[in-house]
Amino acid sequence: MSAHAASHDGHDHSHDDHHHDPGFIKKYIFSTDHKWIGLQYGITAMLFLAFGFYLMMVMRWSIAYPHEPLPEWMSWIFTDNWKARWLQDGKVTGETYNMFGAMHGTIMVFLGIVPLGFGAFGNYVTPLQIGAVDMAFPKLNMVSYWVYLVGGLIMCASFFMESGAAKSGWTNYSPLAGFADGQIVNQWLAGQTQWLIGLVCLITSSLLGSVNFITTIINLRARGMTWMRLPFFVWAMLVTGFLLLLAFPPLEAAGIMQLMDRVGHSSFFMPSGLFTKSEGLADLSGGGSPLLFQHLFWFLGHPEVYVLLLPAIACVAEIIPVNTRKPLWGYKSMVYSLLILGFLSFIVWAHHMYMTGMGAAVSTFFQTTTVLISIPSVIIITAMLISLWGGSIRFTPPMLWACAFIPMFGIGGLTGLPLAFNLVGLHLHDTYYVIGHFHYVVAPGILFGLFAGVYHWYPKITGRYMSVFLSHVHFWPSLICMNIIFFPMLTQGMAGFHRRWYNGGDAYLDKATAATADGANVFANTVAQNIDLNIVMSYGAWILAIAQIPFIINLFFSWKTGRKVESDNPWNATTLEWATPTPPGHGNFTFDVAIYRGPYEYSRPDCDKDYYPQWEAPKDRQQASADESADKGHH
Amino acid sequence: MADSIEAIHKAKKTYLLVFGALLVGTILTVLVATVPALDIGGHGFDIYDAILGLIIATTKSTLVAAIFMHLNHEKKLIYYVFFGAIFFFFAMGALFALSESSPIWDYNFYK
Amino acid sequence: MEIPYIVNPRKDTGLINSKIAIWLFLASEVMLFGGFFSAYVYLRMGADYPWPERTLPVLPGLINTFILIGSSVTVVFAWVALKLGNWRQFQVYMAITVACAAIFMVLKGIEYNVKFHHQAARLNDYTVVEGHLGYEKDSEGEYSLDRHGKKIEENMIRVVAEKLTFSVKRFHAPWVNEMLSEAKRNGSEIKLAADIKAITEEGGKEEPLAKAGDPLSLELLEKIKQTQIEALEHNAALRTDALRLEWKEAKEANPGKRGWQLASDVNIDMEALKPRLLSEVSSVEFTVDPPTLLLFKPRDIKESPTSSRLRDDTVIDGAMGASPMVFHNLDAIDFQWLVMKAKEKGISPEAAIADSWLMKKSEFVREAWAWHLARNEKRQAELTKDYGFKEDGKTPKRTLTHKELYRLGWKDLGEMGVEKQQVKISGFDKIKEEFKGPNYEARGEKTFPHISIPREEIRHAAKFTPAWNTYYAIYFTITGLHGLHVIGGALVLLYYLVFGRKMFLSNPEWFANRVEVGGLFWHFVDLVWIFAFPIFYLM
Repeated sequence: MSAHAASHDGHDHSHDDHHHDPGFIKKYIFSTDHKWIGLQYGITAMLFLAFGFYLMMVMRWSIAYPHEPLPEWMSWIFTDNWKARWLQDGKVTGETYNMFGAMHGTIMVFLGIVPLGFGAFGNYVTPLQIGAVDMAFPKLNMVSYWVYLVGGLIMCASFFMESGAAKSGWTNYSPLAGFADGQIVNQWLAGQTQWLIGLVCLITSSLLGSVNFITTIINLRARGMTWMRLPFFVWAMLVTGFLLLLAFPPLEAAGIMQLMDRVGHSSFFMPSGLFTKSEGLADLSGGGSPLLFQHLFWFLGHPEVYVLLLPAIACVAEIIPVNTRKPLWGYKSMVYSLLILGFLSFIVWAHHMYMTGMGAAVSTFFQTTTVLISIPSVIIITAMLISLWGGSIRFTPPMLWACAFIPMFGIGGLTGLPLAFNLVGLHLHDTYYVIGHFHYVVAPGILFGLFAGVYHWYPKITGRYMSVFLSHVHFWPSLICMNIIFFPMLTQGMAGFHRRWYNGGDAYLDKATAATADGANVFANTVAQNIDLNIVMSYGAWILAIAQIPFIINLFFSWKTGRKVESDNPWNATTLEWATPTPPGHGNFTFDVAIYRGPYEYSRPDCDKDYYPQWEAPKDRQQASADESADKGHH
Repeated sequence: MADSIEAIHKAKKTYLLVFGALLVGTILTVLVATVPALDIGGHGFDIYDAILGLIIATTKSTLVAAIFMHLNHEKKLIYYVFFGAIFFFFAMGALFALSESSPIWDYNFYK
Repeated sequence: MEIPYIVNPRKDTGLINSKIAIWLFLASEVMLFGGFFSAYVYLRMGADYPWPERTLPVLPGLINTFILIGSSVTVVFAWVALKLGNWRQFQVYMAITVACAAIFMVLKGIEYNVKFHHQAARLNDYTVVEGHLGYEKDSEGEYSLDRHGKKIEENMIRVVAEKLTFSVKRFHAPWVNEMLSEAKRNGSEIKLAADIKAITEEGGKEEPLAKAGDPLSLELLEKIKQTQIEALEHNAALRTDALRLEWKEAKEANPGKRGWQLASDVNIDMEALKPRLLSEVSSVEFTVDPPTLLLFKPRDIKESPTSSRLRDDTVIDGAMGASPMVFHNLDAIDFQWLVMKAKEKGISPEAAIADSWLMKKSEFVREAWAWHLARNEKRQAELTKDYGFKEDGKTPKRTLTHKELYRLGWKDLGEMGVEKQQVKISGFDKIKEEFKGPNYEARGEKTFPHISIPREEIRHAAKFTPAWNTYYAIYFTITGLHGLHVIGGALVLLYYLVFGRKMFLSNPEWFANRVEVGGLFWHFVDLVWIFAFPIFYLM
């Protein structure tokens, strides 16, 4: 660490062996330590997740009770001015609903889960698991956190501007998104433009992050950490890094082009002869293509799903062997599946676009690749399921979440299969079925996996366990409520509920009932039969919110009052992060790390303990290995 | 990568040769596009000119990548990364083009 | 704590960290530019207008290509110099590299600047005209200036304003100021049309906010805006509470009924609420006395003969004057698009051109077109002579392109001027034209005439910016982004040049590595340009 920073922080500091006290700001705010950056990511991401959750609760009110004013327990957060502008007699308007919907998606995906999975867990755990002192470029790591934060704040700041935040869906399709907020005189201050600027910041951040991760994993592995000795978590981070690296730039291109459309009046995504509602023929050259935006967006969009998913799978894959006390079943096939999954995820994107009429040949191609990609994902999930077989499972809090992850993600994945097919896709496109499918993957799937990770690594980070009682109070209601919210969505979707109905189908019902008189509308009955589910689901959402309170309490109070860990390796795990002191100091390891065996050596018959760590503690090592002296001075 | 002094001096010559080749390539690509006598295919710009222009550009960029960027003797890992990206770029471009060339976008398709 | 493999490569991978990182970064750059180039292919394949092929002057692009290739060589040589331990040589080569970057950007700037000042317009019949606009003059023949002190182009919407109605919530302050100063200069006053009375306290009486005849000022508008916001907040809160109460009562009265079954019967009792509401003043009306001429940029206003509207919802009542777009120098006439549209409809190109507005209205255009047709005949005859006929013996092997047939560019007009009007032009002026576009002064109005196009004839108009068509949009986006890369790369190299000495002395190997990494980025920038040049300039 630089002596320069330490010299002007004023107070006396004692020198220990290696480093100086870097001072408060350097240590806690502009820290370059991967662990602290990981925590920064984690805390920020959780705050964004909470915000995104809140937006969703408002939307669910509008869906369940479209004619009633927002109750005070939800609307107290707004200022009077905001309420006067965006609510009508206290009711959520269509425009506000769209704004919240777009921002809910954006926040959850780009500001919540990616930073939590990749940014937080990736940052904290990866260097520890490969035996590195830090990331390859610590300063770059810091920059990528701050760029992420700035991007997120820019996006959210637009809630308070005249235009409000972006309101064209999280996919931001042109021409809708190109025209939205067109009435704002200074287009740079429109929410829709801010969204793009924020997005460019976020992409830059994850680009820097992924370069850093991949370099670290390739070059900073400890001695003996060969590729096939890498824990599955690290493999997942490597693949995630590549997905971010190669899939995000096309979206950046799309973002820049849309920015040009908005502030430079170009027509990248504006077809000829566009009319706008109020202005007649738009004063644009035309000649562009809305499909181009969709292509570029989904070129990112699909790998993005795996960017969300892989960190969660990775956490679960770490937790299962620890708690079943047996090796991860089929480690190698899981790794290869992961690589194939990463490759295939680049060429499946247009299954989001069957409705655009892009042509039968292309649809068939993407249909085929989409069905293909289910094979590696099923291999991974099956391997994790088989890993449970015959194990003496310890149902610790992390294991609860991990066990719930498998079936929940399973439902999410299997409900996706019908959507892969062109013809079925035409019926289900943009219905609640899609929402249900996607949320099963993301909410009870990915989020559960990440919760598992929090409970698992908390003892390493803080030196204390989280409360088991509170974690049960958190877990069971969450599991039940998730299903109450998302399972009815599948039914509703097949009944024909459109995902963008801000009043939950109420307005449609009015029109459709009138139309059925002459037999015009098939869906009038099915919508009427399922509309009351809206209320059930909304209650599910609110109870789910309450169920998160024990988690928040647990997270903060256990930091000081939780049960202390007995050793540096409280779960008796084999991977390298448990070889560090608790919590790990700057530079991570207190001894020169070397790796002797694979990542999941549990219950080996030739070993006294039921786990055989990848490393040898220094005192054991003196007798243990002969090749140690050969490598000395390598550092 | 050149390590010994001699190897470096030899590499310098190669760099100058490549420089010359790039200049020639640039002039060539302009000539085939502007001089009517060198115009291949039909008169004016058409698909043949596009292919020829791209072949010249690809040759030039291969030279830059191979010699200036030392890709002619680089570690395998870097090949995987860089050519992987180029593969995905081509996949992207080709699939975009495929979706645009679908007959339903043809003006006369529904007639 | 020290990060390993910064200077010396790791044994099993054989690489230092920064080298892996830069290649990863370049891989992502491949995807970034790949996205743009794919977009280019996609847009060009799907274009529903005549794609402007080979439209940019080649010379500046060619010179820029040479410059970038040269800088690529010098940056390699700079690295070689470092490997040999020769600091002085490194400095020289690196300085040349950075200078090349600067020249590249200057040339690029000139190219951009020419396009930003060159106007194009697409008429209703899809004729395209290009040229240079004139500037507005006042009654004394002096150029009028806008509030930034710049000359105003003759491309403004002119409205004789009699009445201005501002949206209290949305009025745009700079525009209000502009109207005020314009009115002041023309000697007219903008006054409030009628008294504004409002209830500003719950249960209070109507009190005057402003009186008829008060002059327009930002303070006045701000004051009304403030009361409006307060009223909106107050009323919204009241209405929300009232609606909540209604729902509570409705649910108690109809247990078991769903919300959507009750919704039509649950309404706020506005009569009961009325005495408590504050008054909402959403717009204010001002009269302009005497009516005065105001100019607006076309993009800011939705014009109509009697009542126009600005983008900030200001309504301007008053007659719209003639607002032509005046080309002081017309330098291209382009019927390609018109012919394309005509063919779609099954009309012959000749008939469509003869029927176009431009041919009907302009003597010059008719004359030029006749000259063009005659020349085309000659050109086609030459092609037929050189390449002969196809197998059927009738159709020539090579025919003129769509562009040659239906477009008269500035070079063609220049040629015609030289031929018909005996315009003399020096060789230096001709070379200058390659960089800066048509030289109006040297060639004069006989070659590039004056033409005024009525507003209602214009379908779309723009400078040669991204707004003109998707070709220019993608051109500016790719070259602009490339330019940013040039600047970024040059800054890094400049940093090595200026602050590298210390690094070089303390750890020459490390410094050479850094220069190599910077150089790799620089070569990549060159690589992108190698593709961008033929794609934009030659295809």
